[in-house]
Amino acid sequence: MTGPLILAVDHNERNLELLARFLQQAGYQSLGIASLVALDRILLETLDIGLALVDISGFDRSVWERCRKLSERGIPLLVISPRESAAIRQDGFSSGARSVLTKPLVAKELIRTIQSLVEG
Amino acid sequence: MAQEETELQIKTQEEAEPQRISSGVAELDEILEGGFIPQGAYLVRGGPGTGKTLLGLHFLRGATEPRKALLVTLSEPEGKLRKNAAKVGLDLTGVEVLDLGPTADLFAENRHYDIFSPEEVERGPITEQIVAKVETLRPERVLIDGLTHLRYLATDEQEFRRQALSLLRFLTESGATVLFTSEYGPQAPDQDLQFLSDGILELVNTPQGRTLSITKFRGSDFRPGLHGLRLSRAGMEVFPRLLPEAHGKIYPEETISSGVAGLDRLLHGGLECGTVTLVTGPVGVGKTTLGLQFAKEAATRGERSVAYLFEEAAETVVHRSESIGTSMRAMLEQGTLALVPVEALRLTADQFAVAVRREVEEHAAQIVMIDSVAGYRLALRGEDLVSHLHALTRYLRNMGVTTILVNETEYVTGDFRATENGISYLADNIVFLRYLEIDGQLRKALGVLKKRVSDFEKTLRQLEITSQGVQVGEPLTGLRGVLRGTPEWVGPPEGRR
Repeated sequence: MTGPLILAVDHNERNLELLARFLQQAGYQSLGIASLVALDRILLETLDIGLALVDISGFDRSVWERCRKLSERGIPLLVISPRESAAIRQDGFSSGARSVLTKPLVAKELIRTIQSLVEG
Repeated sequence: MAQEETELQIKTQEEAEPQRISSGVAELDEILEGGFIPQGAYLVRGGPGTGKTLLGLHFLRGATEPRKALLVTLSEPEGKLRKNAAKVGLDLTGVEVLDLGPTADLFAENRHYDIFSPEEVERGPITEQIVAKVETLRPERVLIDGLTHLRYLATDEQEFRRQALSLLRFLTESGATVLFTSEYGPQAPDQDLQFLSDGILELVNTPQGRTLSITKFRGSDFRPGLHGLRLSRAGMEVFPRLLPEAHGKIYPEETISSGVAGLDRLLHGGLECGTVTLVTGPVGVGKTTLGLQFAKEAATRGERSVAYLFEEAAETVVHRSESIGTSMRAMLEQGTLALVPVEALRLTADQFAVAVRREVEEHAAQIVMIDSVAGYRLALRGEDLVSHLHALTRYLRNMGVTTILVNETEYVTGDFRATENGISYLADNIVFLRYLEIDGQLRKALGVLKKRVSDFEKTLRQLEITSQGVQVGEPLTGLRGVLRGTPEWVGPPEGRR
């Protein structure tokens, strides 16, 4: 079954492992990226990415640039924030995010959000 | 008619008491009226270091075979648990341990995560492991040590309660009797666990000592109140609070002689079985010696006496007896006399009561002497002297034991006072001793103030304790003002010596 590919960007390797696990359980293929350098490389390739999940914790402000690049490509963007913050929400939406979620995520809600964004 | 009979039979079978599950500690089973009810879930709660895990280990060791016991640990690692168990002589070989605690590498950077809450990530694996283990093992006893740690994995209280309940249900429905421990504090109340359990055992450690109490036990009676507890290299020992009503024995109505004619006459025969006698008087007047006279007499009949010495060493008592012509060594060897020195500050009243019970129930002690009441009070460490002594003496009475309580009064001479403790009501008989100053010499006198079962002589007699032994003289009828401490001779001079 080849569902859409989900790009997961997270500075924490363990987070990526868990995201991959939950996404797989929901039937999605995923690709985990832990650094902005690796993300840049991926952006150069012509992969069919169905959705991008970006956990901004641990990255500097340059992460927003990458977020903008993803949205400009037409890839639905989901920003994951370490805490509730008006500033982060603003930055997120300015970069083209469809939604900004706060950690810790509730698995069911994440999957539902992804489903609505990928179909839409 | 036959139909009704069968129905009645079936009903009685259903209502018949199921075989209790032993707690692994004999005295605790007594408190639980036999033990736990099978397939129940029991909460053991208490602060840190109160012995919860230890109790659980005793419980597991009570399984018919080690394979049938499962230890699920949610906080302490398996290695540490096995080591601690071995230290107190509890062999856990063969007992299955499921270690679900956080591992050390959780702290290592690459294992730490924050994308999802722990409940979502860990719950699955934890529950799966428990279910798998229980399905293969089919244990009859399960200990869940540190159930409260599951709380940290739950998103909220509701979720935790639901999880804990479903876990306990799963375990009990698969045939196991479960003990689970909870560490509580102001930041982590455990009310919900209390509601979930079929029974609660509460362990407390106070400056006065350790206690165990049952605060809930569905479907059964239990012994209420605070029971004594000791944790040592031998594991956990429980000292049930003495319930005198629970004990009784038919005993002969006999009178025990003191072996001293004058004293027997004062008492109109002696002391009756099953009575409590207070021997009271100032320091050094001869109370212990007098009490031991009864023990000496009993020994000649082959009956056992036990004297608990709270103040003196056994050797001192033996030596003093020898100096008045009584050899105790033979009695000690034959087992008709036991002199038990008690270090008041090391023993609690409950521990003492258990020791006395053992003497009475296992070694058939007929006479029990407590020397002295002041020493016994020290052992209580602030608890109520009268209620403890009341329970102890009632038990001894029920068992037909003749009890002698030695009480030291503070006043050497002067106006007479029987006791200062408020305990004279506990005694059936009161024998008092006092010093008298007669013609410039210090003499001793004794008399009987009270005797419940029989009449007694209302006079005073002189007491002499010499190398020939204890001698009680003729009644001191020629004296007046004896109880004031400064007597005067009046009347005919026969009484004068």
